[in-house]
Amino acid sequence: MGIKSSIDAPPDLKRRQLLKLAGASAAVGTIGLNIGLANATDALLKDSSDDVLDVVIIGAGLAGLTAARDLHMAGCQSLLVLEARDRVGGRTLNHDLGSGYISEVGGQWIGPGQTAVADLARELEVGTFPSFYEGDTVILGGDGRVAVDLKGTFGTDETVAAKLSELSRDVPSAAPWKSPRAAELDKLSAGEWLAQQNIKPEDRAGWNASFLLTCGVTPAKMGFLHFLSMINSAGCEYMRLDSIKDSAQGTRIVGGSQILSSKMAELLGDKVRLSCPVRKIADWNRDIVRVQTDQGEIRARRVIMAIHPALCQRLQFDPPLPEGRAALQRAWPAHSPARKTAMVYPRPFWRDKGLNGHIIQVDGPIIWAYDNSPPNGEIGVINAFVLNAAAPADPEAAKRVQTEIYARALGDEALNPVSYHDHDWAQFDPWTITCVSPIPPGFWSTHGEALRPPCGNLFWSGTETADIWAGYMDGAVRAGHHSALQVLNALRRA
Amino acid sequence: MKKIMFGVIAVVAVLLAIFGRDLVDLYRLQNYITTSAEAYQTDRGNWPHLTDACTGCHGNKGNSLNSLYPSLAGQPAAYLSAQLRSFASGQRVASNMGPLAMTLSHDDIDLLANFYARQPTSADASFAPDEGLREKGKQLVQTRGCVACHGEQLMGHDAFPRLAAQGHDYLLTQLNAFANGERNDPSGAMKAIAAALSPDERKAIATYLAALTPQHK
Repeated sequence: MGIKSSIDAPPDLKRRQLLKLAGASAAVGTIGLNIGLANATDALLKDSSDDVLDVVIIGAGLAGLTAARDLHMAGCQSLLVLEARDRVGGRTLNHDLGSGYISEVGGQWIGPGQTAVADLARELEVGTFPSFYEGDTVILGGDGRVAVDLKGTFGTDETVAAKLSELSRDVPSAAPWKSPRAAELDKLSAGEWLAQQNIKPEDRAGWNASFLLTCGVTPAKMGFLHFLSMINSAGCEYMRLDSIKDSAQGTRIVGGSQILSSKMAELLGDKVRLSCPVRKIADWNRDIVRVQTDQGEIRARRVIMAIHPALCQRLQFDPPLPEGRAALQRAWPAHSPARKTAMVYPRPFWRDKGLNGHIIQVDGPIIWAYDNSPPNGEIGVINAFVLNAAAPADPEAAKRVQTEIYARALGDEALNPVSYHDHDWAQFDPWTITCVSPIPPGFWSTHGEALRPPCGNLFWSGTETADIWAGYMDGAVRAGHHSALQVLNALRRA
Repeated sequence: MKKIMFGVIAVVAVLLAIFGRDLVDLYRLQNYITTSAEAYQTDRGNWPHLTDACTGCHGNKGNSLNSLYPSLAGQPAAYLSAQLRSFASGQRVASNMGPLAMTLSHDDIDLLANFYARQPTSADASFAPDEGLREKGKQLVQTRGCVACHGEQLMGHDAFPRLAAQGHDYLLTQLNAFANGERNDPSGAMKAIAAALSPDERKAIATYLAALTPQHK
């Protein structure tokens, strides 16, 4: 890596230093010239040690790898992607079911308007297929049960959905705090708004489940402004955000969502360094940033931070970050670690009974279970979002709890699964603290302006910074493209 | 309550006779939803309520069935509010809890602490303790003075948490965090006690405490 960059670098470097020197002397005379000379000498000394990269990208998830791929395609060879885990993909992860089948453990769907991730899939020659929803969804509560055809939705009251869609027009997804109604809407929680809508008792479980899955929190702790910005991302159509058919849960990726990252990493080869957690970032306000990792110090001119704000908060910064950015990281919500399970059967037996394998349970432990079988239903897979504390930590015990629920919903065949997989993202590794971002009331009014401006040579990326579909895989791809453009321009100007 | 139950059984019998299984199941579902909505109104107030936010990780009414996540039910209100404040200030470090606690007002903290303090506690039925460890833990708890702060029944009081029937994995994580200085208590007593225990002794204590049956106050 170091050798490669030193071979590529010299002509370009010399040009940059000359430009810098010329700029400094022309602009501010003698004093400027002295400082310019000092800086240039400093830079020359460091550069001559062969190991200063143009770009370091922290995080080999969808955002980081998309940025790296863009830079690579633009001809930038002097780059390295640092990943703390021993794998790529970030919050996407394939669980291998054997015989060539997988089930997604993390983010898994794409939907209408999510053109960035759809384009990436096409470029990487990865196919897509529709989520399975045809048939009756089973709703359980206490000892009660009903099977009902929800026609590819979660059974949302469409008049409430229409009101939300309308309100979302005033809340730009790229900058909710710039909404003309920000002051009024950012005071409210989504729960306070819902409380005014005369939601019937039988619809409450549905709203609770929707908020837990889409926002990562129950309605009372979800900021209404941010919730509306999410609907705005979905083209101001609530049903495009929070439904299945023609919605953000409507399309799956052949081979599982992690395949997008795996394919990009393959292309980048040894430019992706695994098991390399970053602990400290020093001199981010100087020409050469020092990134301290468990595998030693790496120096770079520009750094793309393609990790969740809560992970940024775990790093040490020297000097400390500006107060606005530091406050944003400190306050960024990180209390939505999903627990996702997969129950595998020889066949999707429920389909023969007119059931779609979807289960909504009032008062848990299942928030939502759904058919996650491979494209042609060769084997049967029920994935579920489980309330973390409502099923035992021990996978065998948790499996028993779930097979009994599935048997009530789908029939006794459910008692005999082939295998079971249980993944609580809060417990599995220290590098995934949380999932989606339940931005609370007041957050954007206080912290919005600190979301994107770079700090020195640090460029903030990751799906949380996307201007459309923030928090989704699509947002990650958008953020990756954006940060690649930013650093290319910054390198050009240097 | 008995009257309602009898009513339900009678209606179910009639429905079963006339319409069959599906309608009975539907009736039961509607009945469950009505009953639980009424209970919700009595326990918490109007839906959606702030206390819902804790359910995912701390269980229904604060009784976690997952030993990795602590139960809040029956914890002294003073303990719960002190922890929420210390998460918010960053004094107690937890990536998940810090930002969430920062969003809570003084009134929110009081409301949550009082709500969870008054919930009945239940034992973790899925926990199968190792008998040897449990016995060793019992002796350690008696000799190391745990009851001095946590109470005769280890049910906690004031700023001292209930330990009886708390999740095994959570207790062990906390004992280890006190021992290695990741978590600190105001007096420093927990650090001193935990650091003086071997890893096996901490495991024994966690086993004994998790297997206790909570005594209702």
